[in-house]
Amino acid sequence: MPGGAGRSPAIGSLLGTTIRRTISVGWRYLAIGTALSLLLALILVLGSRNSTAFAVTFPLEVPLFAVLGSMGGLMTFTGDRTKGVFEYLIAYGVRPRTLFTNGLASTAAMAAFILALSLSVGLGAAEARGVALTWDLAKSVSFYTVPMSFAGALFTATVGMIWSSVSSPRTGLNSPVGLAPMIGIAPTVLVLIAAESVPSSEYYDVTVGAAAIIIVAVVVLLAMSARLMGRERFLSPL
Amino acid sequence: MLLTTLPFSPALSGALPKDRIRHRIEARGVSSGYHGKRVLEDISFVIEEPAIYVVLGPNGAGKTTLFRTIAGILSPCSGTVEIDGLDIGRLEARTRLQYLSHIDGIPDGLRVEEALRFYATVEGATEQDVERVVRLLGIEELRGRFFSELSQGQKKRVSVARVFLQERTIYLLDEPTSNLDPKLAREIRDLVLGLSRNDLVLYSSHNLFEAKEIGKFVLALREGKIGYFGLLSELRPAKYIIGIRAEGVEGVLSSSSKKGDYYLQELSGPEEVPKLVQELMAKGVRIREVKEMENPLEDLFS
Repeated sequence: MPGGAGRSPAIGSLLGTTIRRTISVGWRYLAIGTALSLLLALILVLGSRNSTAFAVTFPLEVPLFAVLGSMGGLMTFTGDRTKGVFEYLIAYGVRPRTLFTNGLASTAAMAAFILALSLSVGLGAAEARGVALTWDLAKSVSFYTVPMSFAGALFTATVGMIWSSVSSPRTGLNSPVGLAPMIGIAPTVLVLIAAESVPSSEYYDVTVGAAAIIIVAVVVLLAMSARLMGRERFLSPL
Repeated sequence: MLLTTLPFSPALSGALPKDRIRHRIEARGVSSGYHGKRVLEDISFVIEEPAIYVVLGPNGAGKTTLFRTIAGILSPCSGTVEIDGLDIGRLEARTRLQYLSHIDGIPDGLRVEEALRFYATVEGATEQDVERVVRLLGIEELRGRFFSELSQGQKKRVSVARVFLQERTIYLLDEPTSNLDPKLAREIRDLVLGLSRNDLVLYSSHNLFEAKEIGKFVLALREGKIGYFGLLSELRPAKYIIGIRAEGVEGVLSSSSKKGDYYLQELSGPEEVPKLVQELMAKGVRIREVKEMENPLEDLFS
């Protein structure tokens, strides 16, 4: 057998494995998020030739499904913690911070998958159907849909990862993993309601402002996580 | 109570010739715990003789915390842990250790073979190592199944297989035979005994008979402190009671108590056994079996 000296953890392949496992663990969420986002895109495209309705509604709803579909990242993180996977990895020299960022990276990967698929299918179908792809639509996608999808998914994951680590492990709907999607989609739902009810002149202020707030919230949570997520927070309960 | 009457020797290494010292664990004034609450309090010991060191203690005594601290998973609140003179915070120190947690530690969403490959990648082991441990633990038929679908015993086998992916010099095994059937528990014990010929093995178990069978040294924890650390053979039960399975023993023994087929007799120590046997045989008693009825390790929990 080969000797142990000189071993170093293969961090790069660890991230790849984490993403593959996230797909395996959270495939139901990924499938539902993807299916709903595609369904919505097709309904909007087929149901209306009004380019304004598509340009307003489509960019606002995609982040909702990106957040929902990326739940696998949080599920994998909490599963690894409770099942003692993290303590093995830490014993092998993997830094707890790496485990935390891997959880976020795999969440972002799921969000990116749904985002890419729904945008390409939605915009492609709209183009094929003759719905005008306006400059306003491009601005909404660039300044709201894309940043809010990642920010919303990372907000959900960060809240869930910190919450599940600082609380006793629970399962079910009242657990951090059960409640995180509701917390995570709340900002996107609020934006959806607010954007529909404000004058069109304030539409970009509301959407871009909301995305900025969530991005700031994620940054604050990440900064807090360094203090809240001590090494022992990654260990399974005794 | 034995724990308070037996001396604690922080260093058993004095008797070991220097040329036999290959590896060394040294804990100096280690306190460790969770979220500011200390579970281990000012622990010190040196381990350097290749052997199995059985770590015992009631639930909550700090066994798992001790393993986690030695493995570098938990950082001590105070004190130091060194492996072969290297601080446990350094990667070179951790590469000498292999750790088996009391829980499976197998990631969700993976088949058995994938899980072993996952750890092989992290550890720097090869595909051949995965094949070898699959054969070693007899889990060929499980390799294509999802870990979550396995029974508790099968999960344990897979978890133990991970320990043998790479050769190490220090093994920290937290309840390696829990949830295993007697046959497989025996096989695991044999593997661990093989390791202990050249390596340091810390082995925790709630099975005192198993501990007595395989351990050379005992490290007993109580309320986060070391209650006893020494040779298992030097542990003496508070009462030395033997059981005698024999015919024609009624009225011959001073004690009339019985446990199952065994007549119980309290003696001052094992040195009195041959004399008693001779006396009984001289009185026509047909002795079938004589065995110790008390496990000295039980006293560590009393």
